[in-house]
Amino acid sequence: MLDRLRRALGSSIGSKALMACTGLLLIGFLIAHLAGNLLLYADSEGRAFDAYASTLENSPLLPAAEAGLALLFCVHIVLAVRVQRANREARDVAYRARSSHGARTPGSATMVATGVIVLLFLLAHLYDFRINRPDGDSLALIVRERLASPSGLAVYSIGVAALGLHLTHALRSALQTLGLHRPGYEGLIDKASLLLGIVLGLAFWSFPLVFFLGGAA
Amino acid sequence: MAASPTTLRLTLHVWRQAGPERPGGFEVHHLAEVSVDMSFLEMLDILNEQLLSQGRDPFCFDHDCREGICGMCSLVINGQVHGPEAEITTCQLHMRHFADGDTIVIEPFRARALPVVRDLVVDRSALDRIIAAGGYISTDAGSAPEANALPVSTAVADEAMDAAACIGCAGCVAACPNASAMLFTAAKVSHLALLPQGAPERDRRALAMVERMDDEGFGGCTNERECQAACPKAVSVAHIARLNREFLRSSVLGRS
Amino acid sequence: MSAASDRLDARCPGGDMATRWTRHKFDLDLINPANRRGFHVIVVGTGLAGGSAAASLAEMGYSVTSMCIQDSPRRAHSIAAQGGINAAKAYRNDGDSVHRLFYDTVKGGDFRARESNVHRLAEVSNQIIDQCVALGVPFAREYGGTLANRSFGGAQVARTFYARGQTGQQLLLGAYGSLMRQVHAGRVNLLPRREMVELVVSGGNACGVIARNLVTGEYERHAADAVLLCTGGYGNVFRLSTNAQASNVTAAWRCHRRGAFFANPCYTQIHPTCIPVSGAHQSKLTLMSESLRNDGRVWVPSRAGDERAPGDIPEAERDHYLERRYPSFGNLVPRDVASRAAKRVCDEGFGVGATGTAVFLDFADAIARDGRTAVEARYGNLFQMYEMITGEDPYRVPMRIFPAVHYTMGGLWVDYNLETTVPGLFALGEANFSDHGANRLGASALMQGLADGTFVIPATITAHLAGRSFERVDVGAPAFAEAEAEARARNDRILGVGGGSTVTSLHRELGQCMWNLVGMSRSAAGLGEAIERVRELRDRFWADVRVPGEANHLNPSLEHAGRLADFLEFAELLATDALSREESCGGHFREEHQTAEGEALRNDEDFCHVAAWEHGALGSTRHTEPLTFEEVHLVTRSYK
Repeated sequence: MLDRLRRALGSSIGSKALMACTGLLLIGFLIAHLAGNLLLYADSEGRAFDAYASTLENSPLLPAAEAGLALLFCVHIVLAVRVQRANREARDVAYRARSSHGARTPGSATMVATGVIVLLFLLAHLYDFRINRPDGDSLALIVRERLASPSGLAVYSIGVAALGLHLTHALRSALQTLGLHRPGYEGLIDKASLLLGIVLGLAFWSFPLVFFLGGAA
Repeated sequence: MAASPTTLRLTLHVWRQAGPERPGGFEVHHLAEVSVDMSFLEMLDILNEQLLSQGRDPFCFDHDCREGICGMCSLVINGQVHGPEAEITTCQLHMRHFADGDTIVIEPFRARALPVVRDLVVDRSALDRIIAAGGYISTDAGSAPEANALPVSTAVADEAMDAAACIGCAGCVAACPNASAMLFTAAKVSHLALLPQGAPERDRRALAMVERMDDEGFGGCTNERECQAACPKAVSVAHIARLNREFLRSSVLGRS
Repeated sequence: MSAASDRLDARCPGGDMATRWTRHKFDLDLINPANRRGFHVIVVGTGLAGGSAAASLAEMGYSVTSMCIQDSPRRAHSIAAQGGINAAKAYRNDGDSVHRLFYDTVKGGDFRARESNVHRLAEVSNQIIDQCVALGVPFAREYGGTLANRSFGGAQVARTFYARGQTGQQLLLGAYGSLMRQVHAGRVNLLPRREMVELVVSGGNACGVIARNLVTGEYERHAADAVLLCTGGYGNVFRLSTNAQASNVTAAWRCHRRGAFFANPCYTQIHPTCIPVSGAHQSKLTLMSESLRNDGRVWVPSRAGDERAPGDIPEAERDHYLERRYPSFGNLVPRDVASRAAKRVCDEGFGVGATGTAVFLDFADAIARDGRTAVEARYGNLFQMYEMITGEDPYRVPMRIFPAVHYTMGGLWVDYNLETTVPGLFALGEANFSDHGANRLGASALMQGLADGTFVIPATITAHLAGRSFERVDVGAPAFAEAEAEARARNDRILGVGGGSTVTSLHRELGQCMWNLVGMSRSAAGLGEAIERVRELRDRFWADVRVPGEANHLNPSLEHAGRLADFLEFAELLATDALSREESCGGHFREEHQTAEGEALRNDEDFCHVAAWEHGALGSTRHTEPLTFEEVHLVTRSYK
């Protein structure tokens, strides 16, 4: 039984199913993250956001949640590398002429590139607010200052753009990989997936944009 | 509207390769007087006759029934598997879909698991091995029950037939950005999983066929549906979803 | 001309027809399951007959080698059969029975088939459907979930099982699945891209084959205790046919040259509704289902050479020649009658299209009567296929159709056990001659292939393996060396000619000669001329063929040349057989033997027999096997 499960996870479909599961959970995290971030808009002093942040930081569950999150990212990334390597090796000679006629989208065609950018962005994001967090009581203020700078605008715009693009293919691909497909629902799932990418991307992009245009104060 | 021409002048870039381990490259040839009524393969016949008359080697390409059912023909034409028309094989493509003066790039199916045998001919035995791993119902001759003993609804029979329509041409592999054989494998798993006759072997079938597919060096599915668009029999990626389901179900809940 | 030959003992069990097969099976020797592994059988070809035979024998425990010319056993030409497969299930409660299927098949074959064989075919037809359903063949179903049937030509009951328009494909994939299961189990050694180029005979028994590996060019020796030839028909002797490009007579012809008698080569079936030739480049003819004649009306202009567009020709100036000549059957006359009528009007100059060798099949009346939607529901996919090939829309312009060679009823002579005149060599499916007489009914070819492979040969192969003592010959024996040397020499000779004619151009010439003189309508003068021209063409082939490359790599030109060389020998036998059969029956029409109205005139007095030809250094010898009809009485077919 366990042997069978182990073999399944080692297979192409098993790897992708695990990628799909971790990906869906990460989407859940993104939505939660966005909800928290929206508190930045609740008041101009950032009190709501700071209260939320301190609750989070003082929670005894935080280390476990962070470890789980890190694990999700790691599994997703390690599997992506493995699947990508296999996919690349599967065609050793490239076509001279190539044209797409399926449902290849800018999002689907760039999953690896956007994935890499999101990873780099994640590291920069952690550096900004975790590793190199400036001194100060109000996290909201720190966030606003960082995002209002030109470099902040640039890094966060590129990061969330890649994230949004990545997500436009994520949902539909994950559902198909997990076998959740009904004939006739294809178009709906495609639209939902596209919408998810655009909405999450724009929502996250709003922060650097608003703070940059509005100034740190 | 100007009358369309009845013959075409064409420039062909055709892949030439002496053997699996040998280097390959494109050769350029010109054809005049290609009738628009010719099939694509008849156009290649003419090219080969022209080469023979010049004392040169003709190109090898796979073909047999020339009516779109045997699955033997296998070309990538201007970057499109089986050419520019949807839901047909190369042998069903006719030259009226090309214009006078066109340049056509003709390549073999490309995948590590489908090595070139010679010129445009590839070795597709990997697909046979995937079927051998479990793409059947194990009923010995003579042991079958009465045919009407097991009713099957028309909807299920139709869906099974949609999947069973696969001709094994490997066009899905050739079109997939990852050279994946998921649609091919899924078509057989789905066909047999849908029918009650296939139920006794469901658990082992998906696992064995996917294991074989992976071992052959095909890539994985990234759900971009290039396979479905290239499939001459319009086999749907819904069958890939069913394969995924079958595989995951068998992995977690299946009896060994 | 020729007398009944004692070389042709059909070994049919006598007595009550309905129990012959059961009694015969009981009389045959058996081989203990544990001992079967020790017997090695080579199956050449992986169509319905070969694929199912290899799988069934392996399931029983025999060691099997299976080879095919394509890159995969799934691509054999059985795959192209569209219509369906007959069986006497009588699911429609319409009075069908084994006896009726047997009767229809004997009559449809114009009384030139062996009754015992046909009865067995009808008997096992029901088991075939059971087996195919169990293998997962997705046959069409009724809403209640039971199997659906359609009716087909030559029968008044609905007994044809079908899987959309792809019945052959689905049945073949079923057989292929079973074959691959045995490959996986290690009981079948599968050899794709192999062509059988020689039969090896030692001590009078078939003991193996020489095969050429088409990729490496290597000649391989394969020894066996029995060889099963399942290599299909010889329709490509006409070059243009509905057959696949690789379909050929080589394996059968090589066996013939090694002693297997060739029976009734003149029985060729011409299908009336094919898409006509569009030019010299044509490589293949595509069949359009016969069902089109249910709603389409066949016509040509009343005035020869009328070049107006069909829509511009008024009703009064159209000749619906089938309706005129056959008022009761009209457009639905049998295949052979419809084909000959089309040829006749074209020969008289009434043909249409650029080449003048086509007639119109017009759906305008059906569309006006039932509406476009109804016509589309019935024939949508066929109309689409027609438009894809011709570029014309049959909803607006009448289809152009012309007959084409479709199936060959002749083949290696076999007895009731499917064994040829060479002990240990069996022939199955279209490669043998036995079940369809002079004309095959629709949906019977798939039935015969699966019957032979799945149910007949597993029982009858013991007639050789257990029924007699024979000496095992290994591949080092002189017979193998000699056969391999001959095969090699033949290819080397072809490569050495270095002339100026391509194989395709010579094949095209052969095809034109055969189609014009030995096609739908044959005369003594024409057949004589054909034989002369075939001989001349054969000489030209060996003096002027040009095949590039070497024998040690994938070389389609060389393969094609080898097959053409054999077609050039076989074509003469076909014409000779047609010349010697002084009657018209089924697919064989001799202009000298017709009624005043131009219908086929059979000669039961002198020709109620199988003609089987023996190869000899000085020419072919005609032997006959008399046909006796105990159950079905000889009558004349009429469709007036």
